[in-house]
This record gives sequence, structure tokens and C-alpha cells, in this order.
Amino acid sequence: MRRGRLVRAAAVAVVMVLLSSCAVRTDQLARDPGTVRMALNGWVGYEASAEVLAHILREEMDYQVQLVRVDEQPSWQAIDQGVLDVIVENWGHEDLMELYGPGGNGTAVDGGPNGNEGVIGWYVPAYLEEEYPEITTLEGLKENTDIFRTAETGDRGEFLGGAPGFVTQDQGMINAFDLDLQIVFAGSEPAQITEVRRRYAEEEPVLFYFYEPQWLQEELDLVKVDLPPYEDGCADDLEAVPCDYPAYELNKIFRAGFVEEDDPAYRFLDNWTWTNDHQNEVARMIADEGLDSSDAAEIWVEENPDVWRPWIPAGFDAG
Amino acid sequence: MTTPSNRGAGASDGAHPRREAAPGFSASPWFQALLVIIVLVVGYVIARSLGIGGGFPGTTGERFMAWLDGIYAWIVVNRNDSPLFLYFFNYVSVGLGSAVVLIDRLLGLLTWPGVTVIGVLAAWRVAGWRVALLVLVTFGVFALTGLWDESMTTLALIITSVSIALLFGLPLGILAGRSDRFHRAIRPVLDFMQIMPAFAYLLPFVLLFGIGNPAAAVVTAVYAIPPAVRITALAIRGVPKGAIEATTSLGSTPWQILTKVQLPSARRTILLGVNQTIMLAVSMVVIASVIGAGGLGDAIYQALSKVNVGQALQAGLAIVMLAIAMDRVTGAVGHGTRTPDIPDRYRLPLLGTGLIVSIVTVGVARLLGVEGWPRDLSVDISGPVNAFADGLQAAIGPFTTALGTWTLDRVLNPLSAVLGGAPWPLVVLCATALGAIFGGWRAALVSAGSFLGVGLLGVWGNAMDTLSQVLVASVLTIALGVVVGVLMSRNDVFAVILRPVLDAMQTLPPFVYLIPAVALFGIGRVPALVAAVIFALPPVIRLVNDGIRGVPPATLEAATSQGSTGWQLLTKVELPMARGSLLLAVNQGLILVLSMVVMGALVGAGSLGFDVVFGLAQNQLGLGLASGLAIVCLGLFLDRVTQGRKVRRA
Repeated sequence: MRRGRLVRAAAVAVVMVLLSSCAVRTDQLARDPGTVRMALNGWVGYEASAEVLAHILREEMDYQVQLVRVDEQPSWQAIDQGVLDVIVENWGHEDLMELYGPGGNGTAVDGGPNGNEGVIGWYVPAYLEEEYPEITTLEGLKENTDIFRTAETGDRGEFLGGAPGFVTQDQGMINAFDLDLQIVFAGSEPAQITEVRRRYAEEEPVLFYFYEPQWLQEELDLVKVDLPPYEDGCADDLEAVPCDYPAYELNKIFRAGFVEEDDPAYRFLDNWTWTNDHQNEVARMIADEGLDSSDAAEIWVEENPDVWRPWIPAGFDAG
Repeated sequence: MTTPSNRGAGASDGAHPRREAAPGFSASPWFQALLVIIVLVVGYVIARSLGIGGGFPGTTGERFMAWLDGIYAWIVVNRNDSPLFLYFFNYVSVGLGSAVVLIDRLLGLLTWPGVTVIGVLAAWRVAGWRVALLVLVTFGVFALTGLWDESMTTLALIITSVSIALLFGLPLGILAGRSDRFHRAIRPVLDFMQIMPAFAYLLPFVLLFGIGNPAAAVVTAVYAIPPAVRITALAIRGVPKGAIEATTSLGSTPWQILTKVQLPSARRTILLGVNQTIMLAVSMVVIASVIGAGGLGDAIYQALSKVNVGQALQAGLAIVMLAIAMDRVTGAVGHGTRTPDIPDRYRLPLLGTGLIVSIVTVGVARLLGVEGWPRDLSVDISGPVNAFADGLQAAIGPFTTALGTWTLDRVLNPLSAVLGGAPWPLVVLCATALGAIFGGWRAALVSAGSFLGVGLLGVWGNAMDTLSQVLVASVLTIALGVVVGVLMSRNDVFAVILRPVLDAMQTLPPFVYLIPAVALFGIGRVPALVAAVIFALPPVIRLVNDGIRGVPPATLEAATSQGSTGWQLLTKVELPMARGSLLLAVNQGLILVLSMVVMGALVGAGSLGFDVVFGLAQNQLGLGLASGLAIVCLGLFLDRVTQGRKVRRA
């Protein structure tokens, strides 16, 4: 093991020298052959998936795994640059697929659904629905925007936006539904969650961008506002979006080179699919019980061999 | 700890006598400034009643952003074809990325006992046993927080980027020290680099060098270079002319003058520049975690994504210890104090013994299969910290929230309305007038140019909102800073207690206290304001304290013997005589508050800062960079207005 690491360090050095003697393409950057480099986007659900996969790759398949914490858009860029091998939970981003996918420069490949289904929408706490039963309908919301007024927004209702890296069409929806709301950009997910928790504790009104699967859904009783469902093309003009967010079939994105190598690590990630419940089990351990994410992944892996055994590629021998 | 030299050490020429004897009231700059503000408010009221709104006409901003977005798209398409990338950027990228990884591996190979022994021995040799003890405690914190590996990654990144910064910074500084023309040319560049928020140039560097360690190393180096250049130039310039003339008359070549006279006598000052460079690098590696640099910054980020303040504080503590230890070691080298006095003949044997001890430690540790500190043997303080944070929120939450609402209603909203709602030519005029009043015609020109620049960048509205937040935070910072600074100068015990607190405040990554601020004040501009005040306060307190303590005791005695009361002593003697330090404190306070604009956007401050963050997160180079440049414009204005007089004199 120790010797292996030395050899690897030497290998990196050799590769460096070799590379510096010719033109360098970004997708040829130095990299350990036995290492899988995974994007780690900033929400806990993603972290749960990534840590479970990393744990199995490390412990069962003897790979090194590098988890690189970056936002959604930059992770695509990193795939393009050859710095990352896989995004395990991608939410939409058709525009990026056009840019980097087979139709674009061909550096990214759609790896198919990972089994999780994503819902984005507008949420209010359940206690608010008890007080204003109609608040979860568009008409009810329209009439009651004044209850969301805060010092920050003055005489308009406050809509608490999501983290800047997330997929959003909120302003378009506010425009199209003609709501008297002003977006306050939370700026980061932890800030948004802290604020929602604070209001929840005081039973104050709050209307905010949120999504599922998300661990906070387990801690707080939240209700999604019913808006006209998504139809193809209704969100094309971001200035006016007269519909809710689409339901997302979350998918994996691979680096094209990683797919071509057809390594067992790739086949394992390709085989992997699991459900929202699986992800939430792990996410809850991380966020609610405060477990270290790798510990939470280990516990889940120990308890659920039937789920993950089939992901290991046929004929793979960990040696 | 030395204050971060955002403005360069050259700016602090200490207390200087008042320019003229008590000017007439109407000629007082404060009176004139008040007039300007009244004109602005009246103008706003008139404009509003006439239905004229704020805002800046034209589409130059949009075109500029579109042009930048075009560059972005070009790079994405051509990254693997253009020779610029194939033969330059990708090389740098591979080289730096690999350097960080190799250093990290090396630290791993040395094992934790090895790294600790080498670190402590080296610290003892250059800085004495007190600092060595501090270094030992620092390694202890790394280990006990369970963040050993992360700390080593961060250390590797710091070593790489500080090396780059010094590799470029020292020669540039020497050049600037020897050539006036080059000095004049590079100063605005350094000003620009220091005012530009780090977040705003993350994206361009990611684009050029690739996500992760390479871009992180470059960005950190860029952020940390200015003090290296500035202080080296200052040090070279500070070498007595007589010494150089003497050597020249003996027929020395310029190279000999540099290596035999200038560098040796400037050595200590240059080392202080190195110290500043390292401190900036430490603060930047945390921000660099946003673009995929691992290490302690990443640990903080990870804890925050679970809204686990205690865990984030734990990682923050490791950063604080790292920063303080590095500061003390390099600071001691710079001051040349506290170094154990070892006779020449023992030096070589001592070095040998140290090497042997290190080698044996590493060897034994490797034989025993030790690598990083075992994670199981760590102490978790996050539970109590979180409990404390929750308790605090429960206890004073209602009060702080009310205070936040009041600040918004009474201070921030009106100010933002005036700045954003007044017709833009009036705002530009007022800024120009302020520049002229406080800094002379040069500052007036810069002020006018900055505001026009903001307008042309197409972000006028956001910039005015940001300016209102910066002004409020700065006034708070300076007021608090003066009060605490005066108290600190009065009471030695208080000063001794306060000093480590200030050290911690200055080095604790702001990420850590952003979230508790939201819990207490509610999301929006107020928690951002609070965070900015916390961040900018320490240097202001220090400068005020230093300034007052620097007043000659003889002057104080004279005033006391004439029967001055304590209050008179303070307002008539001490504060006026500390004027130089106070001005510098105001200037530092403003610039540091401004540097928190982007951080504040992470908790809902919106405006320019949010657009910078949004640009980075959504790959919108145009929006992010334009907003970043607008922050630079505001910074130039605030900087010139608060230190214009000195610039005119220099």
C-alpha cells in the first residue's frame, strides 16, 4: 500500500515531465489511473449519494476517490476540462448539455437516470396552511401576498430565493402570475435554511424556493404550493413563466473519456440507481443526526448490501 | 499581529501636525461635506416629487457584459485547440496542480509525528521556544479537531501559492524600489488588485487554469502578491542614500549594490512583507474552496452546508491557529527578536541533530505505519457550540431581530432610496465635490470617474444599494473601533485580554459567523452588515490604540499639569495628535468593509455582491466581472476621499 503510493507519486511526476514536452490538452491533465474524481455539489442529498458511491468504490473495489466540492455549473465546466469524471445528481441543465454534450464539443455524456426524482417548487410551512387554507393555491397566494411582507421588502411580500447556483425561474413565475412579491436572494443554502428554521420556530409566515429530496423536509413540516403544472416550452421565456417547475428525472453526467475507458469504476457508476428514500436515509443521518458523511455512508452500506451488490459490475474481482 | 497592509505600509506616515490653526467654521471640510449631503437629499426629494427616477441611461453595460460572455464562450470552444491554452495556460495548470498534489503527498509521507517534530524544531530555531510551543499547540489543534489531512492539504496549497507570490512579488518589488517610473506604473495595478473582491476574479481564473488546485493556487498567489511588492519596494527605498553612494564611489556595479547593500539592509522589512503575503494567502485559501480547492476551507463549507455552526467553528479554529502560528514564526524572523542566541560553533551540530531527530521520527513513524492523525482520536466541540448558538438565539433573538428591522427601516432603506433614487448626474456631482473637499482635485477626478464607471458598467442601481450598505457598516465600524481603541489604550489589562480576541476575529474565516448572524438578525442586509463590522473592526481598533499610545508622554504630562481633565486630554490632545493613525483607520475600515460586500451576499445582502456570486455559480462571466469592477470603482472613490490629502502631498 505504502509502496503503491510512492509509485503513484513517481508516476505523476513522470507524467508531468512527459506532458511538458508537448502541447497540453485540458482533458489530458495528470491524473492517477486508480482514482475516480467525483463532483460534490453543495446540498446534502447529493453528498449522500456521492459518499455512498465513494465508500463502495473505496472499500469494495479498491479505488481512490476524490470528492471535489464545486457548484453545479462549474462541475460541468470541470467535466469539460477533464478535471472531474462524474456528476452523480444532475438537475436539468439542457443548455449545458448542448454546449458540452455530443451535440456540442462532446466532452460530456448523459449517463441516464440515477433513480432519484427531483421536485422544485414554492413551499410554505404547514402551520401557515392551517391558518390560511387557500394559501397553497395560486389564487389564495395572490390574495395573501401581504402576509409575507418583511422589513427587507417593505410593502411587497417577500419570496425567499434559493442558492445562486440552483436552477431558478422564480422571477418569471412572479411576473406571469402577477404576484406582488419581491425576491430576497438568500445567497447560499445554509443561510436560507437558517432563515426558514428561524421563522418556523417563531411560526412566522415564509414563502420560499425549495426542493425534494431534501433533508430539511424531514425536520420541518412543509407544504408545496400548487401551481399550474409544467408543460413543454412554458419556461422558454424566463421573463414570464406561467407554470411550475418541471419534475426532474435526475441523471448522471460522465466525462466522455471516462466512458470510453470503460473501467469497472465507470460500469459500477453506470449500474447504480436508487430511490429518493434511500438517499433520504443517508441524508438524514448526515444532517439530522450530525454524523460525518462518510460514517453515514458506511452505516448505510453495511445495512443495505442487497441494494448495492447488484451495482458491482459482473465479473469484477476486487482482488 | 500586524494589521493587513491593504493600503501598503507607505500610507502610514504616522501622526503629523494639523495643517493650519483652527480653520473657520464655514471652511471646515466637515461643514462643506454636510452641505453636499444636504444638496443630495434635497435633490432627491425634488426629483421624486417631479417623478424623475434614478438609474443610469445607456446600454454600454449590457454590451460590455455580452462581450465578456462572448470571450467566455470562445474559451470553452477553443480550450483544446488554441495554442494559447495548449502551450501556456494548460502547462501552468498542470504544473501547479501537480505541485500542490506533490507537496501534499510529501507532507503525508512525513507522517504526523514527522511534520510536528520538523515544524516545532524549525519554529524554535528561528523564533524561540515560545513560538515553538505555539506551533506545537497548532499541530495539536489540527490533530484534535480531526482535521489533520485537511490541514496538510491547506498547508500544501499555501506553500505553493506563497512560493509563486514571492517568486513574482519580490523581483517586482525590487524593481519598483529601484525605478521610480516602474513604481508609479505598478501602484495603480496593486491598488486595483487589492480592492477587487477575490470572488470576482475566481471565475476568470477558473476559466483559464481549470477548477481545483491550479486555479486556487493562482488566485491565492494573485491575492497575496501586493504586500510582497509594496513592502519590498518600500524596504529598498528605505536604504540610506549614504550607504549606496559610498558603495557606488567604491566602484560597485548595480548588481553588487543590490546584493551587498540594498538587500541585506532591507532584509527585515522584506520579511515583514513575506509575513503579510502569507497572512493574505491563509485567508484566501478558504475562499478558494469555492472553486474546488480542498482542505480546511472545504471542511468549513461542508459543515455549513449542514448548517452545523459548531463543526464549522472547529475548522475555523484550525485556520485561526494556522494563521497565528505562521504570523508569529515569520514575524519573529522579521523582527529578529526572540531567536535563541546560539554561538557559531554550535550551529552546524545543532542543525545536524535536528535533522537526525526528524529523520528518526519519520522513519520510526513510517515503520509503525503511522500516517495522518487517527480521526477517532479527536475531540468534537461542535455539540456544545451548537447548543450555545441555539441558546443565544433563544435568549437575544427577538431583541436582535427587532434591532435588525429598525436598522432596515430607519437607516438602510432611506439611505439606499436617496442614493439610488437621486438623479445620477447629481450623485456624480456630489461624489466629485466630496473628493475635492477631502482630497483635492485629483481625488475629485477619481471620484467622478469612479461613479461614471459604475454607470457605464450598467450596474448603477445595485452599486448605489451596495454603497449605502458599505457606508452604514463603515460608520458603525469606525465608531465602535474608536471607542474600543480608546478603551484599549487606557487600560493595559484590557489590551492584553483583547489582543488574542482581535487576532482570532481577524483570522477567523467570515463564513463561520455568517450563519449565526442570520439566526440572530434574519436574512438580508443586516446580517451582512454585522459580519462586515466584525471583519473590519480589529485593524481599526488596533490603529486607534497604536495612535493614542504613540502620543509622546511629555505632551500628555504638559497637558495634565495645565489641569486638563481626562476628557479634554482625549479630545484636545490625544485624538488630534493621533490624527494620522485615525485617518488610516478610517481608510482601512472602509476598504475592509467593502471587501466583505461579496461575503455579505451569501446571507442575502443582494446587489453587487450577489451578482458576483451569481456570476460565479452560473458561469456568467460578464455579470460577475462587471459587478466586481463596479466594486473596485466604489473602492477607489472611498479610498481617495479618505486618504486624498496624503496623496496630494506625496
